[in-house]
Amino acid sequence: MSPVTRAVLGVVGLGGSLAVLIYLAAVLDRVIGHRVAQQPLRWSAALALPAREAARLVLQQRSRTERSDAEAWALAPALLAAAAAASVAVIPFGPAAAVADVDAGLALYVAAIALVMVAVFLHGWSPNSVYPLIGAYRFVAVTLSFQVPLALVLLATALPAESLSVSAIVQAQDGLWNVVRQPLGLPIFLATGLGAAFWGPLALPDADDLAGGTRAEVSGVPLLLWRAAQLAVLVSIAAMSAAAFLGGWRGPWLPGVVWLGLKTLAVLVVLLLAGHLLARVRQESFVVFGWVVLIPLALVDVFLSGILLL
Amino acid sequence: MRAALARLAADSPVPIFVLAGQGAAGRVDGLRLDPRLRLVDSPRAASLLLVAGRLPRSWLRPALRIHAQMPHPRVTVWWPLGYAPRSLERRFAGVVRVAAQEDVAAVLVRLQQALLRRERASEPDLLPDVDPAPWRGVGPYGQGGKGMTGGVPFGRPLATRAADRDGLELDFLPIRVGPFFPPLPVGLVLELRSQGDLLQEARVVEPAPGRPLPGDVDPVFLRALAEPVPLAALERARARHHLRWLAGMLRFHGLHALAGRALALAEAALVGAAAVRALGRLLERTLALGWATRGVGIVPPEQLRGQPLGPVARAAGLAEDARSVDPAYRALGFTPVTHREGDAHARWRQRLAEAAQALELAERAGDRLLAGGEGVVEAPRGRLTAGGATASPLLELLPALLAGQEWGDAMATVVSLDLPPVEPVQGASGVAA
Repeated sequence: MSPVTRAVLGVVGLGGSLAVLIYLAAVLDRVIGHRVAQQPLRWSAALALPAREAARLVLQQRSRTERSDAEAWALAPALLAAAAAASVAVIPFGPAAAVADVDAGLALYVAAIALVMVAVFLHGWSPNSVYPLIGAYRFVAVTLSFQVPLALVLLATALPAESLSVSAIVQAQDGLWNVVRQPLGLPIFLATGLGAAFWGPLALPDADDLAGGTRAEVSGVPLLLWRAAQLAVLVSIAAMSAAAFLGGWRGPWLPGVVWLGLKTLAVLVVLLLAGHLLARVRQESFVVFGWVVLIPLALVDVFLSGILLL
Repeated sequence: MRAALARLAADSPVPIFVLAGQGAAGRVDGLRLDPRLRLVDSPRAASLLLVAGRLPRSWLRPALRIHAQMPHPRVTVWWPLGYAPRSLERRFAGVVRVAAQEDVAAVLVRLQQALLRRERASEPDLLPDVDPAPWRGVGPYGQGGKGMTGGVPFGRPLATRAADRDGLELDFLPIRVGPFFPPLPVGLVLELRSQGDLLQEARVVEPAPGRPLPGDVDPVFLRALAEPVPLAALERARARHHLRWLAGMLRFHGLHALAGRALALAEAALVGAAAVRALGRLLERTLALGWATRGVGIVPPEQLRGQPLGPVARAAGLAEDARSVDPAYRALGFTPVTHREGDAHARWRQRLAEAAQALELAERAGDRLLAGGEGVVEAPRGRLTAGGATASPLLELLPALLAGQEWGDAMATVVSLDLPPVEPVQGASGVAA
């Protein structure tokens, strides 16, 4: 296969599978929401619902505000989606088979997730409106508190693999998954991953107490893109959980890509359930929790992983 | 392509932004359970604007500004609920009126479909698309306060400098919220000064000081002022009020699915105390709801003593309840539930416990036991007395409570106090119902 064909196949495959997973996440979120609310929802209706809402948003006018930074406003959802796609690209779906199987895949992943902050801040700042701006401030205020432990627990998974390549990390889980080897890793990664996707208890920039926060002024296609890009980040967190902690594509009988998909969906269900059962955290207590509990625990995770290798 | 999209979109839940006027709060809660509708918290996300009940004249201007923020295609629907203000139809040209016997959800669905199929034209702007005020200030963009920050270009106050809690000179931003900001009770207008998302100062603009606020109390409580009514009816109405409030609080904290469950309990005709207690146990176990509310908006009991503030006072440890002296309640062995902490956490647990207790009282009282008729009744928001209307004392406490809190905590405090909507109900008399 020529490099060009490989690249085209990679981009199409990545975009396609990401789109399918985003849609499934949207369906699952509605199904779980109705279960928690104890209200009936037929699967057929649940499957069609995100498509119907997307169609309505496509037909809706995009809003404009007074003296907005129009370019930055349009860029924000694209940047968020690009960050999510770049982060998913390093996740292998078979032996040495990732869209971007780079040596420093883990570093690329963390860098892409860090860009989420830029996208959210742009999205809140550019409409020139109060509630989005407060949402943007908020996200910047809490970002470090979850980004640092998120990067640390991922780094710990690189130690047994002796490589920053995500493929090597999956290979190193032959026989023993990291979720067992590093029991602190996955819970911390999921908790901080909710922050990266600003979802559920950590939906601080897009919160209900700000009438929607950074998306309070958005309608039509940009709103659709923003929601899809946010789900893409959530999917990326779930896929990385599967790769770094749950053995990635490893599993008996079924092909590797199916195993990766199943594990990603299982983690997605946990994340979505957390969104329906955990109230939004208070910003200041979360920052304290991040620096006093999460970061020290993540450091303990790194040290224990290192000691086990000696 | 467009037609195919319109067909696909026709059955999506209708996103509506509701302006709940007088006498509409309970009816609007009923709409939230309808799967055909979705009540959204920003007019930008809505296709239909639903005006429910009576809008006082002074709210028309804010309502028109909400309308101006809605994206096309859009339409305004008026659900009169027995009120007939002509001024509304004059200002909202082309408003669709829901007839008394019509199913409002069906009307909304039909209108969305007509809009999507272009059988109905989108409503044009009702306000002129101009800057709300001329340029002021000295700079090329109208700025021109201290150090080239501040000023009021286009009537929009810009950030300017002020000392923060650490003694630094930081930008502060004046913000006006209300009267239709979803987390706040309808009609409440606050003027806030924020630094980042920290509120330095809060002021109540509306209602004006000293205005009576009887609020939208269930009519059975007003009847109980004058004549004995079935105790079970009083207690069921109390449980319904608290569960509706609980649903609103859960929505505020991002728990929309659990809010749906609380609301379903509130709207169910005959719900047992066991179901309410089960929901309470689930919420207690959801540790994060404790994190979100514990220590937020503490009102010390000294500020509440002797005030007719019902659950807010009892959540701070004051066992003040007009039911304690009612012979019918004493026959049932009623003792008021209390909590001690006086924070938002104690207040939601207080109301949840009172809702369960009310349903138990209703079950034990049966149909025959009567209560009230003595000119005093314990309503869901506190004691009502015949003819004794004064302003809600909580509104006076609000500025001191909110100053120094982060935005989220400040709004959580307002939500936890269950302030009544601002417009008074005709014929009602009482305090902070």
